[in-house]
Amino acid sequence: MNKLDDYIGTEKKQTFLEKLLAGFSFNLRLIWKNISNRKKSMMIITIGLVFSLSILFTSSIWTQTSQLIIADDYIETLDYEMYVSTYLTNAMDSVYAYTVGDYLVKQVDWYYPTVALFNFEDKGPYYRWYPENQQENMSNPVSLTSAHLISSRAIDRIKLNLEIEGNASLNSGEILISYTQAKQLEVIYNKTISPGDEINVAISRRIPNTDIGENQMRFYDINETIFSNYTITGIYKYVGYNTAIAKLLGGLENTGGMLLDSIFFPLEDLSGIDRFIIDSNGLLPRLLVKTNAQQLRINGISQMPDTLHALSERIKIRFFHAYCYILSQEIQSMANEYARTFSSTVLFTPAIVATIFLTILASQMTVKKRKEEITFLRSKGAVSIQIIAIFFGEFILVSTLSLILSIGTGILMAALIPALGHEGFFSKSLFTRYFEYLTISPYDIEIYSVLVLGIYLGMTLINVISFVRKDIHESMIITVRGQRLLGMWIKLAAFALTLAGFIFLMVDYTRVARSSYSFGYGSIGASSNALLAFIAVLFFLSYFVSIGINYVLRAIKKTYKFVFGQNSFLIYKNIKRQTKSLQDLTFFLILIICLLTTFVTIRSTTIHNNIIEDAYRRGSDIRIQSLVAVNITEFEEKLGGIEGIDEIMGFQSIKAIVGSLNVDVFGVDPSKFLSIGRWTDNSFSDIDPESALTTLEESPSSIILSDYIVDRLEFTIGENMTVTDFRGGPFTKEFNVSAMIKSAPGLGIAHGFDPKMNRENYEWVLLKEDILINDLGVHNGTLFLATAEEGADLNLIKEEIETLYPLMTVNPQQINPDYIGYFIVKYIPHVTITLLMGAIVLNVVGVVYILISTDFILGQRRRENAVILALGGNQGKIRKMLVGEISVFLISTLLIGIPLGFLSSILALTFLKPLLIPHEVITMTLHIDFGLLAIMIVTLCVAALLGAIPIIRKQMKYEIVQELRAIV
Amino acid sequence: MVDSQIIISNLLKSYSSRAEELTVLRGISFEVARGEVICLLGASGSGKTTTLNLLAGIDKPTAGKIYYDGKDINEWTTDQLFEYRLKKIGFIFQEFYLLEHLNALENVMVPIILRGESEEIAQDIALQLLNQVGLGGKALNLPQELSSGEKQRVCVARAIVNNPSVLIADEPTGTLDSKTGDSIMSLLLRLAKKNKMTMIYTSHDPYFTKMASRIFVLQKGVIVEHDSEDFADIGYDKSEFEFLFKGENNE
Repeated sequence: MNKLDDYIGTEKKQTFLEKLLAGFSFNLRLIWKNISNRKKSMMIITIGLVFSLSILFTSSIWTQTSQLIIADDYIETLDYEMYVSTYLTNAMDSVYAYTVGDYLVKQVDWYYPTVALFNFEDKGPYYRWYPENQQENMSNPVSLTSAHLISSRAIDRIKLNLEIEGNASLNSGEILISYTQAKQLEVIYNKTISPGDEINVAISRRIPNTDIGENQMRFYDINETIFSNYTITGIYKYVGYNTAIAKLLGGLENTGGMLLDSIFFPLEDLSGIDRFIIDSNGLLPRLLVKTNAQQLRINGISQMPDTLHALSERIKIRFFHAYCYILSQEIQSMANEYARTFSSTVLFTPAIVATIFLTILASQMTVKKRKEEITFLRSKGAVSIQIIAIFFGEFILVSTLSLILSIGTGILMAALIPALGHEGFFSKSLFTRYFEYLTISPYDIEIYSVLVLGIYLGMTLINVISFVRKDIHESMIITVRGQRLLGMWIKLAAFALTLAGFIFLMVDYTRVARSSYSFGYGSIGASSNALLAFIAVLFFLSYFVSIGINYVLRAIKKTYKFVFGQNSFLIYKNIKRQTKSLQDLTFFLILIICLLTTFVTIRSTTIHNNIIEDAYRRGSDIRIQSLVAVNITEFEEKLGGIEGIDEIMGFQSIKAIVGSLNVDVFGVDPSKFLSIGRWTDNSFSDIDPESALTTLEESPSSIILSDYIVDRLEFTIGENMTVTDFRGGPFTKEFNVSAMIKSAPGLGIAHGFDPKMNRENYEWVLLKEDILINDLGVHNGTLFLATAEEGADLNLIKEEIETLYPLMTVNPQQINPDYIGYFIVKYIPHVTITLLMGAIVLNVVGVVYILISTDFILGQRRRENAVILALGGNQGKIRKMLVGEISVFLISTLLIGIPLGFLSSILALTFLKPLLIPHEVITMTLHIDFGLLAIMIVTLCVAALLGAIPIIRKQMKYEIVQELRAIV
Repeated sequence: MVDSQIIISNLLKSYSSRAEELTVLRGISFEVARGEVICLLGASGSGKTTTLNLLAGIDKPTAGKIYYDGKDINEWTTDQLFEYRLKKIGFIFQEFYLLEHLNALENVMVPIILRGESEEIAQDIALQLLNQVGLGGKALNLPQELSSGEKQRVCVARAIVNNPSVLIADEPTGTLDSKTGDSIMSLLLRLAKKNKMTMIYTSHDPYFTKMASRIFVLQKGVIVEHDSEDFADIGYDKSEFEFLFKGENNE
C-alpha cells in the first residue's frame, strides 16, 4: 500500500489539541505564505497600523520629552529661583551651609547691597554730597550709584538679565556698570566711557541716614574700600523679567529698577572684615539660590512650584529667622501656560480618530478580499479555530512589525516636531537634544497598542468569524437576514450615540459659554470634552448624511447622462448598485472633508483673531513703553514733537485697592483715548466705547471698572464706590461707576491674568487723568499710545524715539517679551500649527483611503472589466468610466462635506475657544482661508485621482483571458 | 475559389508558469469560409477554448497567423482589436460572464452602448433580441434570478446584438442539460443562418457536432485526421462518431 492509500484507508482519531498541534507548523508556513503572497494588502495594513500607532506614540513621547526640556530650559533662563535673607546676620553662614547641602540646590551665591562712589578722590571726608543734585561742588560732583556685591561666578547667572556691551566678566579688579551710570560718568569725566576703561571706585560699607544729617562723605565708611584702576569689563542694560534679581532689586513693578543705575562689584575683593562691617551696618546679605533643574522637575512640571516651596519650608523650619522668596508664581505661570498650551494638542484628536478608522476599514477590506479563501478552507473541513488561528498568527506578525516600526517612527517624529516646528527650519540642535532627553512611557505605549491593535484584531476576527459558520449555505441566509437586522440596529445605535454626543456637547458647551471671555482650566476641560462629543456627533452625522447622498446619487440618472453622456450608463449602474465599499467611501470622505474644512477654517479664524487681537493689544499705530516711569505730560510734549506723530496720549498709573482686589489705576484723556485707541464694539459691556468715554470725559468723578468687579461687588451703573490705598497709603476716594469694561486697546483685558500684556496685575480701572494729576498728584506712567501722520514711516519714528530715549521701546515685537507662551511655543507648536498638521494628516488619510478603496473596488471588478473588454469595450472608455465614478464620489462628498465643514466650524468655534485662545479679547468671528482650503481640497482630489490612475492603468494591463480564467 | 473569411495558419500558443512552459496549441491551421458552421471537437485541455480566444482577439498567439478577411489580426493596434471584438465578433462564453449587477436587458445593452448608441436605442434593440431568444418576459431579471439555459440565451442575445459576422461559442451547451442544449444550439444555428453569420463553436460532446458543416478534432493542441478510430484513440466511443463518416451530416 502506498502513502496515499494509507492516508485514505485509515481514519485517524485526533483530539482537538492534537489536531491543533499537528497543524501548527503547517499553519505557520501558511501564515508566512499568506503574508508574502499578499504583500500589498499586508503593506497597506502595516502602514495603517504604523500610521495610527506612531501618531499616538509621537504624542506620548513628545509630551514626556518636551516637558523635561521645557522645564530645564525655563529653569536655565532663570537667574535664580530663590533668595534667602535673615535678620540674624551672624546665622547667615549656617543658613548658607544648610542650603548649599540640600539635594535640590545646585549653587548658592552671596549678594550684598550697598552704594558705590565715583569721582570721590579729591573730596575730603567732610564733603557734603546730599542732596545729590545740590552737592558741595556741582561742577565736579561725586557720582553715587547702587552697588551689587556678588561673587564672581554669580555674574554668569545674573548676566541672563542683562544686555551687555563688552564682557560679562567680574574677576578681581573688574566691574560692570549700567548704561545709565556710564552716561552719568561721561558727563562727570567729560569723556566717553567704554568697556576696557579704567576707573576708581569706592564701595560704601554703610548707608548714611540723611534724616539725621549724615550728609558727608565720611558716613559712607569707604576708607578701606577704595579701589583704584578697576577695569570696566562691560556696560549693561537690564532686560530681564520675572527673575529672582528683578524681585530682589525691586524697582517699578519689580522690573529690577535698582539695576538701571548701578554697578556689579566682585565680592571677593572685599575682606572678611569689610563684609562684617557691611553686615553690622544693617546692609543684610542675601543668598541667591539656583536649583538643580533635573531635581526640581523630577515630579513633573506641575509639581515644580510645590517642590520649591518644600525647599523654602526646609530652610524656614530650621532657621525660623530666615525669609525665603521663591519664584513660585512665575514657575506656576509657566506650568499653567504649559498645561494650557499642551491642552490645545487635543485638537489633533480628530486626525488620530480618522487614522484609526482608516486602519479598521483597511483591515475589513482585506478580510473581505479573502472571503473565498476562508470558504475554501471551510469546505475542506478546517475547523473555525484553525482559520481564526491563521488570521491570529498573521495579526501577531503584522502587529509586532507595526509596533517596532511605530515606536521608531514615534521617537523620530517626536524629535522632528520641535526641530521642524521652531522657526520653520530644521534645527539640528533641537533634534539631537530630544534624543538626549528621550523619555518613553511604557504605560502609554501599552495603552495605545492595546487600543489600536485591539480594535484591529477585534474587527478582523468579527469579519473572519462571520465567514466561518458551520453551514455555509445556512449562514448565507442568516447573513442576509442578519445583515438587514444588524444594519437597522447599527442605524439605531448610531442615532442614539449621536443624540448622546449632542447632549454631552450641549452640557460642555454651556460650561464653556458660561466662562465668558476669560478661559480657565474648567473651560479648557469642558472644551476638550465638548470636542470629543463633537467628533462623535460629526461621525454619526456624516454617516446619516452619507446615506442621504447615496440615495440622491441613485436618483440623479439624468445628471449623469448630462455630464458623462455615453459613459453614463455604466457609471450610473455602478453607483446604483451601492456596494458597502462605496457606501463606506462616501461616509469616510464626507467625514474627512468635513473635518478638513473645520480644521482649516478654525485655524484661519484663530490666525485672523490673533492678528486683530495683537493690533488691539498694541493699542494704536504706535505703542511706546518706557522701562522707567516718566512724567506723562512732559513726555507727551516731547514725543508729540517727533516728526510723523499725529496724536499722542500717555497713561498715568498708580496702584490701589478696590474691595480686596489690587488694581492698576490708569489715568486717561477720554476723548484722546477714544480717537487714538483701536476700540471694538466688544470692548465694553452693553455700551459702545464712544458713550462710555464721553461719560468719563463729562463727569470727572466717573470710574470705569471691569464687569468682573461690578458683578462681584454688586455695583450698578451710576452707583458710588470707593477706591482705597492709593500709593499703598491711606488715601481714599469716592467715584461713580460709569461703565463696565472688558478690555481696552493697549491695556488688554480688564480682568484676569493677561500673560501677553506687560503688567502683573490682574485688574485695572480707568479714571480721567485730571483726577490722578490734580487730586492724587500722580504724574508718572510707562505707557504711551500715538497715531502716526498719514504716510509717516513707522520705522523712522521708532528709530528716532529709541535713539533719543534708550529706555523706551516702540512697537515692541512682543508686548511682553517674557510671556512664557513664546518660550513654550519653541517646543510645543502653536495651536495653528497643530491644526495645520491635523489638516495635513486628514488629507493624507483621505487620499490613502481613496486609493485603498479604489484598489479594493477595482479588484472586485476585475472580472467585469475583463468581460467588457472581451465584448469589445475600449480601455479608454473603462478608464473614463472609473475616473468618472471616482469624480462623482469626490464631487458629491465635496459638495456636502465643505458646507457641513463650515457649519461644523461655526458650531465648533462656540466651544473650542478655550483651546484656541486664553481670552476672547476680540469677539472671535469666522474667517475662512479659501486659499488654503482650496489647496487642501485640490491636493486631496488631485492626489486621489493621480493615485487612482496607476491602479486603473495596472488593471487595464491584465490579460483578458487570464482575468476570465482566474475568476472561473 | 473558396471565400475564406478566417485563415488560421500554424498557430502556436504557450503559457509560461513558474514550474513549466505549457504549450496548448502546437501549430494548428485551418480555414473557415464565410457562412460556415465549424465545430471544434476535443477533450478538456485539447486547446479548443484557446483557439476561440485567439480567434476572437482576446488572447495573443505565441506564433502563427490569424487572418480575418485577409488581414492579420495580430498586427492590429489595440483600438483595431477593440473594434474587431465589438463589431465583427460575437462571443458566447461557457461560463456566461453576465454582469451581475445588470439585469438581462442591460447585459444585452452593454455591447450596443459600447458601440456608441444611445441608451434608448440600445434598450429597444436589446428588448427585441431578448424577445427573439424567448426571454422578453424576463428582461428585467438579474442574472442570479435566471436558470442556466436562460442565462445562455441572454449570452446569445448579447453576442449577436451588434450583428457580428462571426459568432464564436465556447461550449454553448457545456453546462446545460441535453434538452436545453438542443434548444440553444437550434437557436444559435437559426440566428446564424438568419443573420448570415459564420459560426465557430466548441464542444466535447459528439452529439452537438451534428449541426456543424465541418468538424476539426483537436488533440493535445493539434488538429488530427479523424475517423472513428481516431475518436476512440482520444477517449470517445467510436460508435458515436460513425455518423460523421457516412456522409450524413458533412454536407
